[in-house]
Amino acid sequence: MTSTSVQSPSQASRRTAPLSAGSTLRRRRRSPRAVLLTVAGFIVAFVFASPYLVMLLDALRPSGEVLATPPRLLPKVWTLDAFVDVVSDPVFRGWLSTSLIVSVTSTVLVMLVAIPAAYFTARFRFRGRGLFLMLIIVTQMFAPTSLVVGIYREFYDWGLVNTYTSLILTDAAFNIAFALWILQGFFAAIPAEVEEAAVLDGAGRMRTLLQVMLPLTLPGVVTAITFTFIATWNEYVVALTLMQDESKKPLTVGISSYVTAYQQNWSDLFAASLIAIVPVVILFALIEKHLVGGLTAGAVK
Amino acid sequence: MARVLTDAPSGTRLAPARAPKPSIGGRASGPAPSSRRGRRRGANEASGWQALLWLSPALLLIAAIVIYPAITLFSTSFSEYSITGIRKGDAGFANYAGFLSSPDLPKVVLNTGIWVVAVVAITILIGLALAQFLSKDFWGRRVVRWAVIVPWAAALVITSQLFRLLFDYYHGTINAVLLALHVIPKPIDFLGNPPLLMASMILVGVYVSLPFTAYLFVAGLSAIPTDVYEAARIDGASPWQIYTTITLPLLRPAMLIAVVLNMIYVFNSFPIIWIMNGSNPGFGNDTLITYMYKIAFKSAQHDVGVAAAAGVFNVIVILIAVIVYVRLTRTRAENPS
Amino acid sequence: MRKSIRRGATLALASVAAISLAACSTNGSSGSGGDSVKSIKVVIAEYSPDNTAKFWKAFAKTYEETTKVKLDLQIISWNDIDQQSSTMVQTNNLPDILNLNTYASYAADGLLYSGDEVLPKDTAEDIIPAFVNSGTYKGKFYGMPDLSSARALFYNKDLFSQAGIAKPPTTWDEFRDDAKKVTALGNGAVGYAQPLGPEEAQGELAMWLFNNGGTFKKDGKWTLDSPENVKTLEFMKGLSVTDGVTQNNPGSTNRTDGAFPLFEQGKAGMIVGFGPLQGALDKDFTGVNYGIAPMPSGNKADPQTYGVTDYLMAFKKKGNQDAVKQFYKLYYSPDQINTWIKAEGFLPVTQSGLKSFESEDKLKVYLDTLPNIHLTPTDDPEWDKVKLTIQQNIGLAVAPDGDPAKFLKDLQAQAEAGK
Repeated sequence: MTSTSVQSPSQASRRTAPLSAGSTLRRRRRSPRAVLLTVAGFIVAFVFASPYLVMLLDALRPSGEVLATPPRLLPKVWTLDAFVDVVSDPVFRGWLSTSLIVSVTSTVLVMLVAIPAAYFTARFRFRGRGLFLMLIIVTQMFAPTSLVVGIYREFYDWGLVNTYTSLILTDAAFNIAFALWILQGFFAAIPAEVEEAAVLDGAGRMRTLLQVMLPLTLPGVVTAITFTFIATWNEYVVALTLMQDESKKPLTVGISSYVTAYQQNWSDLFAASLIAIVPVVILFALIEKHLVGGLTAGAVK
Repeated sequence: MARVLTDAPSGTRLAPARAPKPSIGGRASGPAPSSRRGRRRGANEASGWQALLWLSPALLLIAAIVIYPAITLFSTSFSEYSITGIRKGDAGFANYAGFLSSPDLPKVVLNTGIWVVAVVAITILIGLALAQFLSKDFWGRRVVRWAVIVPWAAALVITSQLFRLLFDYYHGTINAVLLALHVIPKPIDFLGNPPLLMASMILVGVYVSLPFTAYLFVAGLSAIPTDVYEAARIDGASPWQIYTTITLPLLRPAMLIAVVLNMIYVFNSFPIIWIMNGSNPGFGNDTLITYMYKIAFKSAQHDVGVAAAAGVFNVIVILIAVIVYVRLTRTRAENPS
Repeated sequence: MRKSIRRGATLALASVAAISLAACSTNGSSGSGGDSVKSIKVVIAEYSPDNTAKFWKAFAKTYEETTKVKLDLQIISWNDIDQQSSTMVQTNNLPDILNLNTYASYAADGLLYSGDEVLPKDTAEDIIPAFVNSGTYKGKFYGMPDLSSARALFYNKDLFSQAGIAKPPTTWDEFRDDAKKVTALGNGAVGYAQPLGPEEAQGELAMWLFNNGGTFKKDGKWTLDSPENVKTLEFMKGLSVTDGVTQNNPGSTNRTDGAFPLFEQGKAGMIVGFGPLQGALDKDFTGVNYGIAPMPSGNKADPQTYGVTDYLMAFKKKGNQDAVKQFYKLYYSPDQINTWIKAEGFLPVTQSGLKSFESEDKLKVYLDTLPNIHLTPTDDPEWDKVKLTIQQNIGLAVAPDGDPAKFLKDLQAQAEAGK
């Protein structure tokens, strides 16, 4: 690979990425424009985060205060009770672990399935290719609510209702499309010469994919992982139908039980919801660089 | 039809003729420019059997988890069901007739049109601006990027619930703030007044669709080689000219993905409408998706057969919408004048 | 291209066929396995996050210990239970026991055991006759009640005294005057919190309708558009549209996030409430000084009480009859059923329950009325649809441009057409 003069997509993206040497110079100048941008940036950040700040404030007050009329922005009584309640509840921890197990596993499964398919459709022309790609996009068009009966019937017949397996398979199937779409772009962006060199060296197709192609598309893989993880983390309807045991429900389904028609624990609901956001945001913070590089690389020559 | 759709994600055919470089989608699909085709011709052909080998895991999973239930949906739509869900027999086209003749349908279709077009269009416009902004280099940009991601990371059910509280007439923070600032003399009934409700739902729809869309555009932007810009600048083009003649055309593949995916996701979006419209009577604020759910479980029809017909109808509607959009953009891309 | 599509389609179809075959081969496992089942599936609606799961888990343990039959418990929120139960029926994966607020449609579809088949004799006799009545479809008792609740008028004593009102109203005229006085206090005070949004509007309607001599159904005939009922709904509409004594937009207000919070925040003078609201007030909103009174009357008659009961119905499945019988036997034993009902803040459905609740002063106002309680006609499968129409459309009927008389006339026509 190093023998070719081809730049890897990640290198390429870094070159054109906004955080480049030139921009460091600009930053040192601290022009009024830069200050303005930072101020604007924090306004944007505030706009996006502010609803969730209200949510945080609601989680920090007693449940009875959440629907106060007129509302008060700051809690009259500050309390961490909701967070303590939620975290100390073994059932909540069950939901959290279900979500983690299901999201991580189905994300891995999506990658295992989508990478070969993306590679192949990006590199080869074959009969049925058009139909395959159409099938992929049509899978996205069905509302989960309309498919859930069929999914339930199937897993019931297979004896898989109320198992992680059923959820993992479903989440994986519904998220192949995006991963495949993104990854296909990355594979296609790698010049054919890179691959041909590896094949000439005697590597098989699969080995070429794993040892040569995959490292070059790492940012793409990271991108697909993020998108898939968020999608599976937030899935609701299918999990609601398939999972029966209280402790096997994922977070999305579990936390909705904090507010029922007869009893409303608003602050618990919001505390739990905030905790549910945290893993995703942390994941995001860790790979944000790669994500942008990732989406970029597919388009960079 | 297949051509239209399958070329959509791969983008090549849609890439502007004079700027073939950036393409988020695959290069190998569709009739590629001849130079590239020539370079790759040898490796590009594969037999159906080889394809089956590489694609079978994906195919199997999709066949089992998506196609089989889709067939179930289809057969349900031609069956007659009791209110409890017992199959009573064949219904022929009665479910479809029942669905298509329901007096609320025109209003629901109109709502769906407004909802999808408004959310997607506004999301795309703001998303473009936001992406432009997020691509600039400034101190604290990482933090801003994390903040932008939060609405995407949060479960939609919860975000909708949160906004329902924020918009509430009596205990909503938004009304409280507006009252405190003396912008309004009395609270606004955001959730009970149909036009305001639609506007509020669109706002939430845009808000949760922006992160995904903006990041797609951020990627598209950073893919544009800087030398193109420099050349334009030397030619004396204004920033707006540069944006419209270089940036936008080069963003077209990302735009295609953003529009198509957002169309599908927004059309199928359930929680925002279900929750924010949750205390209103009738079907005057529903979209096709929530209407389908109400037919199945919450209306006097209470009929899963009719709801399944609605489900099939919905898939056809979104399929047609996507095809129309892709055809339109393709025509435009081929005739840039 | 077209050819390749056809080929791909064949491929896709082939894999689907293979999957369907696989599915068929494992079919038919439900209910088989010897004479009696080794486990039963119990689907319970979630009343409260604090108590429902706790009680039923303990119940399952006791059940398993005494019967050696496994109890698979599934707790589903009220929001989702219609969809979930429908999915179970559609896929022929019936639960053994299902907790729901309706049963007649299931009985009409021939899915249920009747009381003769699964209720121990002394249990059947212990159930309060009003509930046996409402649980009886075509002469057989299918709708075993799990718990009940009764509605009463809650009023805010502080707002009443500020407005110079000495005692809760007994007639509709007094009610309207009192509501006006409370509204006149200003500062966001609302005379009457009226929830007519889709969540539970039939309950609000029932409460007023019964207290004006009206009914939903009488002597086997629907009476939805009777003159009394039209007058009742017009009165209800007038409260917001003419008198302006309700909260904003009652037709778009649900109980849980609309009307109840107003009362809990001390902003509403009056509201129709029940046990769980009382529970919340005593636990989280101790600042609200409230009283509970019988409903005012529109026709100078004695106050009538509207009650609600939910059901635990048993599905006929091969070999589960004995296990189901054991379930009811255990559920209706006083230390089980009464423990749960007390925890959730509801009312008993059995005579023995009435006795055990007698000592609870808080509940006296309801308990006295329980034997003569008015229920909605849940014994008629048609009600299941009439109820949904009320929930979806009554909010439109009480809007400023709504037409109560036409709404009730259409409702009557719908109910009669269903026959």
